[in-house]
Amino acid sequence: MVMGVEDQLGITVRREADRVVVDLDGELDMASAPLLQSALDSAEVDPETMVVLDLQSLQFIDSTGLRAILSLRDQCRERAQQFAVTRGSPQVQRLLDITGVSEHLQTPTA
Amino acid sequence: MTEKAPPRDIAVELLVEAGAVMASSLDLATTMQQVAQLTVPRLADLCTIDLCDDAGGAIREVAVASGDVGLAHDLEALRRRHPLDPNGEHPVARVIASGEPMLLAEMSDMLMRSFAQGSEHARFMIEHRYRSAAVAPLVARGRTLGALSVLRLGDCEPYCGEDLGLACELARRAALAIDNARLYSEVRQVEQRLAAILVNLAEAITLMDARGRMVFANQAAAELLQASSPEELMQARPGSIMERFLVLDEQGRELALDQMPGRRLFKGERPQPLLVRNVVRATGEERWLIVRSSPVIDPESGRVLFAVNVFENITEVKRAQLAESFMAEASRVLASSMDYSETLQGIARLAVPQIADGCAVDVVNEHGEIERVAIHHRDPAMVALAQRLDRGYRPAPQDPAGVPEVIRSGRPRLYAEVDPDALAAYATDNEHLELLQGIGARSVIIAPLAAPARTLGAVTLICSDSGRSFSHADLALAVRLARRAGTAVESARLYTERNRIAHVLGAALLPESLPEVPGVQIEALYRAAGELNDVGGDFYDVLPYGADRWLLVIGDVCGKGPRAAGVTALARHTLRAAAMLGQTPTGMLGTLHRALRSQPMGADLCTASLVTMCHAGTGQPAQLTVTLAGHPPPLVIDESGQATQVGRPGTLLGVIDPIDVAEVETQLRPGQTLLLYTDGLPEAGRSDHRLGERDLLALCAQAPGLDLAAMLARIEQTALRHAQGKLRDDIALLAVRLC
Repeated sequence: MVMGVEDQLGITVRREADRVVVDLDGELDMASAPLLQSALDSAEVDPETMVVLDLQSLQFIDSTGLRAILSLRDQCRERAQQFAVTRGSPQVQRLLDITGVSEHLQTPTA
Repeated sequence: MTEKAPPRDIAVELLVEAGAVMASSLDLATTMQQVAQLTVPRLADLCTIDLCDDAGGAIREVAVASGDVGLAHDLEALRRRHPLDPNGEHPVARVIASGEPMLLAEMSDMLMRSFAQGSEHARFMIEHRYRSAAVAPLVARGRTLGALSVLRLGDCEPYCGEDLGLACELARRAALAIDNARLYSEVRQVEQRLAAILVNLAEAITLMDARGRMVFANQAAAELLQASSPEELMQARPGSIMERFLVLDEQGRELALDQMPGRRLFKGERPQPLLVRNVVRATGEERWLIVRSSPVIDPESGRVLFAVNVFENITEVKRAQLAESFMAEASRVLASSMDYSETLQGIARLAVPQIADGCAVDVVNEHGEIERVAIHHRDPAMVALAQRLDRGYRPAPQDPAGVPEVIRSGRPRLYAEVDPDALAAYATDNEHLELLQGIGARSVIIAPLAAPARTLGAVTLICSDSGRSFSHADLALAVRLARRAGTAVESARLYTERNRIAHVLGAALLPESLPEVPGVQIEALYRAAGELNDVGGDFYDVLPYGADRWLLVIGDVCGKGPRAAGVTALARHTLRAAAMLGQTPTGMLGTLHRALRSQPMGADLCTASLVTMCHAGTGQPAQLTVTLAGHPPPLVIDESGQATQVGRPGTLLGVIDPIDVAEVETQLRPGQTLLLYTDGLPEAGRSDHRLGERDLLALCAQAPGLDLAAMLARIEQTALRHAQGKLRDDIALLAVRLC
């Protein structure tokens, strides 16, 4: 089966009161990771607004996907912008836990 | 006024002359005038011929003849001013209406007034002393065309029945001649309209008679058949036009004149449209034509009078079709081998004779010299000649023209007609010139063997004995071919190169062999995802770590390709160095973390699992220390197949500062198996069909019954089955079992 990168990862950017929520649906891997960065770039979020990555619909993540999330975290940190990541689906959360990344990601407040 | 001649003599004389007149002209006005003139003065002082329209309408055409030219002229003018009323009483109108002849032996003034078209007409008749008239209908092919009137003026003898009979006889013959002239004039008009259409048609059309002479040709035919005008074609000797061309069938066999559809029509055949390849001998231009011929048949004899030939020029369509099938074939040849010289020889063989008579391929070798790698020609003698030429006069890279110039500039060259003077100037000496002349290239194309970033060489195509010369369409095809071949050669070269690099890198990523440890079985398995030369990713190692101590390493670097391979080599060798220095597992991982952080190209992400194993000897348990950095925990599988994860999750390396890892002590008893694996294993398969950790544990349950190598092979097979043969990440497995 041949899938386009867009079929593989759906990215929805949603603006809420004090935050921008980025919904990831599908698979975040070597092929689709660049989409995440470009979606954030084109959303032009100002530094006062918190960025929340919602991983609940994400079915798969690999090390490249992790790197993409970590590099977003670093970018936000440089701009003193708040960055949070929701818990992921079992596979995603497993990788976040195994790699120790989950401990270093803030979970969003309600 | 008129001398009386014996009626019979006049009649015979008149009728003979009438026959001659009528055969001499097919022009309506001329014919009418000549017939009228015949009667004067022998039968009449004044003669008029009136014609009516087809629908029996207006009476219009008129011819007037008289010994008195002024009278004839005045009457014509009068008739134009006052046309005869077709429904009136004028004898002409009555004869036309009834189709019956009419004799007006004696015309009184009163009678003339009764049928005159107004007073002017009546005055005219009376003034000119109209005396006697005979009016005969002009009937031809069952249709009344008009009337012939003969008149006598003044004091002469009136007409009798015999005169009327003669007028009728004359009218019958005249009617036929007039009708013929009229039909001819109609045909002429139709023909003119038809010719206007044919002349302006874009398709070339010729009309050929049974002797092979062209009786009609339009402008398009003149252009197609290389004549200056349609007239030139029509004046040409039969068959001479075809001598200007080489006419071939689709397979390149020469066609004779009598195989052409037009000629075959005259042999009673009904030929199908013929596709011909037509080469203009003078210029070498090649065209593809469909020739259709249909007969013009004589309805009476059934014989073929003419062949109508329609030539449809389908050169563009045919070229495009040939080019596509040629390129498809070329792609097949190019894909058939990864050996570039073999590939290029295949291309040369394919080009001949399909697009050229000869083909040579030159490439620039690693020393920068131009090297001929392929040569092919229809004529084997020419191949030998070309080889002699290549041996004696191989072009040098800095030569100003020819192959070296095309390689340097990357621009193709078309020499549609090779200029003998230019050839002489190009030759370095007499022998060179003789060899070049011996090849007899009439037309040459040199196209760059172009790879995306550079020109690798050139493809030379020549036309010699086929008489063709290359066009811009041929040049376009040659450029496409050479570009496709260049890309194929470059990818074959790169593939070979990447394979070599992958092997070199692979050697740096994985240990060549695992150390022998007494009382311990050690097995490893590495399965790369994707192509063989997609290096990088997973690594494993087993190294001595002090007395009776061993270090087991497994790890995974984020990404694929050369950069990941570099990081993988860095990770493996950093850990080796750190182990030799006697660092603790935490220390070793810290060292690797810092090494990754300090990379010039920015941090790379890596996970690793380190297990130290202290083993005193056979039958003894081994003491393990498990330290995880972002890596899945190893499994200890006991004799019953029960698997337990060992170790505590720790931070992956290279991105998060500081790292947090923990050394966890555990034991491996004889009969137990330790399995280290990379994430490619549980991630094998797409989301709905992933191998998963649960399946992995189920697999481990079978482990005790299998020897270590078989166990790893089974795990690999299961993973591949879940992934339907297409792993999304590499899998590395490292297993240790105590005897």
